[in-house]
Formats: sequence, C-alpha cells, structure tokens
Amino acid sequence: MRSAWLVIRKDLRAELRRPQAMIAMLFFGFLLLVILDVAVPAGTEITPETGAGILWVAITFSSVLGLGRSFDREKENHCLEGLLLSPLSPEGLFGAKMAVNCIFMGLAELAILPLFFILYGDAFLRSLPALALVLLLANSGFAATGTLFAAITAGADRNEALLPMLFFPLVMPLIAMAVRATGMIFAGAPLPEYSSWLQVMAAFTLIFTGLGFLVSRHIFRD
Amino acid sequence: MIPRTRNPEPVLITCTALLFAAAVYAVFFHAPAERVMGLVQKIFYFHLSCALVAFLSFTTACISGVAYLVSRDLKWDVLGAAAVEIGLVFTTLVLATGMLWGRPVWNAWWTWDPRLTTSLILWFIFAAYFILRAAVEKRQQRAAYCAVMAIAGFVDVPIVFLSARLWRSIHPVVIRADGVNMAPPMLTALLVSLAAFAALWGVLLRRRVRILAMAEQIRILEHRLDREPAQARRARY
Amino acid sequence: MAADDYLEVSGLCKEYEGCRALRDLSFRLARGDFLTLFGPNGAGKSTLLRIIATLTAPDSGRVRVDGADLEDGSEEFRKRLGFISHHALLYDQMSALENLVFSASLYGVADPGARAEELLAQVDLQLHRHRLAGTFSRGMRQRLSIARALVNDPDLLLLDEPFTGLDRQAALLLGELLLVLKERRRTIIMVTHDLDRGLAMASRVGILAGGRLAFLEPRHRIDAAAFAGLYLATINGETS
Repeated sequence: MRSAWLVIRKDLRAELRRPQAMIAMLFFGFLLLVILDVAVPAGTEITPETGAGILWVAITFSSVLGLGRSFDREKENHCLEGLLLSPLSPEGLFGAKMAVNCIFMGLAELAILPLFFILYGDAFLRSLPALALVLLLANSGFAATGTLFAAITAGADRNEALLPMLFFPLVMPLIAMAVRATGMIFAGAPLPEYSSWLQVMAAFTLIFTGLGFLVSRHIFRD
Repeated sequence: MIPRTRNPEPVLITCTALLFAAAVYAVFFHAPAERVMGLVQKIFYFHLSCALVAFLSFTTACISGVAYLVSRDLKWDVLGAAAVEIGLVFTTLVLATGMLWGRPVWNAWWTWDPRLTTSLILWFIFAAYFILRAAVEKRQQRAAYCAVMAIAGFVDVPIVFLSARLWRSIHPVVIRADGVNMAPPMLTALLVSLAAFAALWGVLLRRRVRILAMAEQIRILEHRLDREPAQARRARY
Repeated sequence: MAADDYLEVSGLCKEYEGCRALRDLSFRLARGDFLTLFGPNGAGKSTLLRIIATLTAPDSGRVRVDGADLEDGSEEFRKRLGFISHHALLYDQMSALENLVFSASLYGVADPGARAEELLAQVDLQLHRHRLAGTFSRGMRQRLSIARALVNDPDLLLLDEPFTGLDRQAALLLGELLLVLKERRRTIIMVTHDLDRGLAMASRVGILAGGRLAFLEPRHRIDAAAFAGLYLATINGETS
C-alpha cells in the first residue's frame, strides 16, 4: 500500500514538472468540443441527449491519450523493470497506475466541463452534482480497463494506436451508460430514474478493477 | 508431436456433412414456411446456429485464457487463438445473416437491438484480439496478453448485453428477435441445424489447432536453424 | 540442504522460442559467496539472473533463498535484492537525490533522505544532487545507477555484465564497492566476459554453457591461465 502511494506521488510530481499527459488530454478534449460544435449545424438546439453525447465523446477520446501515457514514463531507462525489482507488488503497481489515471482524468474533466458549458449552453450547469457522480464512476471504469490495456500495449512491440483499438470496444457499454445517464441528468430527471445505469456502471468498474488486480502478475512478469 | 495413429478426422467430417444435409432438408422441407415472414424466416435457423458456434468459440477462448495463465502451457494459447478465429468468422456470419433477415422483416439493415449490439461489440473485441496478437513478438508474452484480452472480452459480454437491454427497456422494444412462434417441425429443424453447426465447430477447431500447432513447430525449427552455426550444418549434409 | 546454504537453485528449466535457455540447472551458494559466471552468449546467464530476480518465471524448477521459496513472499525477498544491469533504471525527470530517495522509500529504508545523501557521497555526486538525472553525463549516470542499485544495502546482489560500457571512474568505483560488499559477507552473483575482473573478485567460478553449468569450482582451486584456456575452449566448442 505504502509503496503504491510512493509511485502515485512520484507520477504526480513528474506530471507537475512536465505536464505531458495533462496537456495532451486537455488540448485534445478542447479540440474535440470545438470540432463537434462545428459539426452540429448552426442554430440547432442542443437537446440534453445530444449534449451528453458530445461531452462523452470529448471525454473518452481525451482520456485515452492520458491512459496511453501512463507507462511511458516507466519505459525510459527501463524504469518499469526497476519497479518490478523493488518490493512493490505487481498488484500495487496496477493500483497505483490506476489511481494516477483516475486523478488525471478528473483533472482534465475539471477543465473540459467549463468549456462544454460555454459552448453548449449553461442550462446544463444545474446538473453538476449528479454529473460528478457519473464522472466518478466512468473515470474509475475507464481507469481500470485503460490501465490494464495500457500495461499490455506498453509491452507490445508495435503499439501505435493499439490502445484505442483494444480499449474502446471493451468500454463501449460504459460509454453508452454514461451518455444515457448524463442525458437524463441534463434533462432534469431525478436519481431513481437513472440509478440502474449507475449500478451497471459500478458493476463494470468493479469487474474490471478485479480483473486488473488478478492478472497484473501475469502482465508485468514474463 | 502430431499423432500418426488412426486419424478420426474423416469420420468427423463425414458426420458433419451428413448432419448438414439433414439440416438443409429439415429447414427447407420438414419445417413449414412462416406465416408472416415467409421464406426469409429460413435464415433464422442458420443465424441462430452461427450464434451458437460464436458463443462456443468465445467461451472456449475465455476458458483457455484462464488455463494458460494458470498453467503457462502454450497449447492453451493455440486453442484460444483457434477458437477466436472461428468465433470471429461466425460472429461475422451472425451479423450478416441478421442483416439479411432484418432488411425485409424489420425494414432496416440494422437496429440497436440488444442482441445485435452485443454481437457487434463482441466482433470488435475479438477483432482487436488479432490486432493484439500481431503486435507482440515474444511468444509467452503474446500468449499472456491474448489470454487477458479473451477473458476481458468474455466478461464484457454480459455487461454489454445488460446495458443494451436497459437502453431498450426505457424505449420499449417493438420487435423482439425471439418473438418467433415455434411449431414443432420448426423446432426440429432448429435443433438439427444447431447440431450440424456444433459438429462443424468441432471439426474446424480441431483443424485450426493442428495447423496452428504445426506453424508453431515450424517457427521453432526455423529458429533453431538460424541459431545453428553454418559449419555444423555444412558438416551434416 | 546444508545449514549455511543461502541460495539454492534446483532443476531450473526455461525455454524461449523452442530454444532451451536453461536445462535442469542446479547449484548452491553459501552466504558470503561471490560467484562469477562466465559463458558464451545465449548460454542462459541473463535468464538465470532474471529468474532469481523474479522478473521471469521458470518453466520448472525452483529457487530458494534463505530457506524460503521465491514463489511465496517474493516481495519480502526483493527487499534484500540488488540488481545491476546495463539499464540505468533512473527517472530522467527527477533529480539525483529524488531518484535515490524514491528508491530508498520503495525499499522501506528507515531514513531515505539520509541514505540517499550517504550514497551520493559514496559515488561522488553530492555536488549534483539537485540536477535532473536526464542532464547527467554518461559516467555520472552510471555512478548514480550503481548507487540506486545499492540503496537497500542488498544481501543478495546480481550483476549482469556490470562492467560493460562503464567509464574508468565508474568501473573503479564499482570494483571498490563490490570488494566492500564481499568483505561484509554479501552473496553476489556476477555474470561477465571480463576474465581478469571476474577471477579477481570471485570466491567461486562457474561456466554456463548451453543452459547447464559446465564448470563450478572454488576460486582457490583454479589456476587463472588454465581457466582462461578452458573458457576459450568452451566458447569455441559452442560455436563450432
């Protein structure tokens, strides 16, 4: 536990010093929001469902950039090997990287959301607390799946664009549920109406977190 | 490595062929034409059978993935790869036959029905399996990664289905794929074609496993040849 | 297992791509032994070290350290393990001090800051403690990397061709540090091609060829010149 926390702190400090992942995520997220705004014909009213869809496209595509970087730092000078040689367990390493990814995605969303409200109308603003819950669930689900497959792509020999191809099909249900729940939240629906979505999202997160911890030993060592 | 003794394959293939003949007969002559959909409905028997084969394949892939991670025996990796190959082909067939059926019956090539959605995402997941396979060189590493992918894909399927169904339960479904009224002869036809496809699956899987295992051996032999110094080779011939 | 056996390797097998890197390899080391392993390329030397370091799982066979199987409790074992290879294992974006403090904390060293300063002094980098490791010259990186590997004052030290590519200062430093560790009865396994250095420090000498130990003797029974001949013969035997 303690050594996992050390890795988290090290990654956060490195990111603070040279925010490669954050810049990539934010820049891409902003770009997508603008592109999608251009793609929607001028003058059309953005319905809650469309708004939710746009927001989640921006979030998923920007998050995959951050996820892809989570093992980059460990690849220079074979630092990953250094971590595996240390008393840190593979499970601890997976947990640390997952936590870091969760934090990065949360931070990126803090910046993407305001731009979304600016571009697509601040009528969505009142739904912020409920939206935070959906974001939290989706982030942890993305982070679990994404960390697992980022670890795999980091070990692959040809890994250009490999992560999105492995990652997106698997998180498709999570994206669908997040869009759905967000749409209802934007439309002003009360919690009981979309709570079943949140439950399935939580189940997804739990299953993939568990899978990640179970197989991390097999992924990091050969 | 490859057993030379009594190959049961001809028997298996003959049985499969006979079953297929029976299935074609049962589907087209024994089972009556469906009242509303007419002849188009015949595709349903093959559609469902393909889905069965796909399901068998992906279950096999998941089980062999777990078995590989536990045992670290590469024969499980070969079995998994063969199963996913077959599963991918038959998922494609499921999607194709589904669309052929949907166009005249639902008046649309595609609807976001839970089953269709699940098959489509399944297709994506297992296509990604091969992209991953091609991207990793080291034999054991590739096997471990692919095992994880197969397991992750398999556990993803129920969630996909659940979410797709939740999606629909809010907008009620107009057409349900299982709303077919099954007359007894139809059921017979269905069961025979299911059996035929299951047998086909067995034959294909056996073949693919053997071919992949042979390819593996050839690769290993090539490796040995590369490592063997030229001198020794010259001395041998 | 004799009472003073510290490391016991038994029946180790590992196959890569159909080539058997290790075939039924067994040997034992007592605490304080310094084993130098020679052998032609591809003889399985690195594989052996990686298996002992728990980076790679063997196909069969086992490694016991201090009476405990590596399979269970390998986290505890790694606390006492050091590994030096050609990879620097340093974070370029972190300063020399931060690199060492991070490693020391990972290994649960009591006072990471003090340990890091102590090591920086040993490898003569105190003046550069706040410089990013990425800006170091090659020789400085090598010294920092050596310091990093010794951060937990390992009981068992594995060295994979440690002298290859080192500059003069770093090589001298490593040699000195190894002698100190040997005097303090640390168990050391070194894989090398460097006959002089390897023989000078070893208490036992082995030759690994074709995944097997072709030779394993205490150093005092070996005549350096005769051994050089044997070693060359093994290498040539492998390639013809």
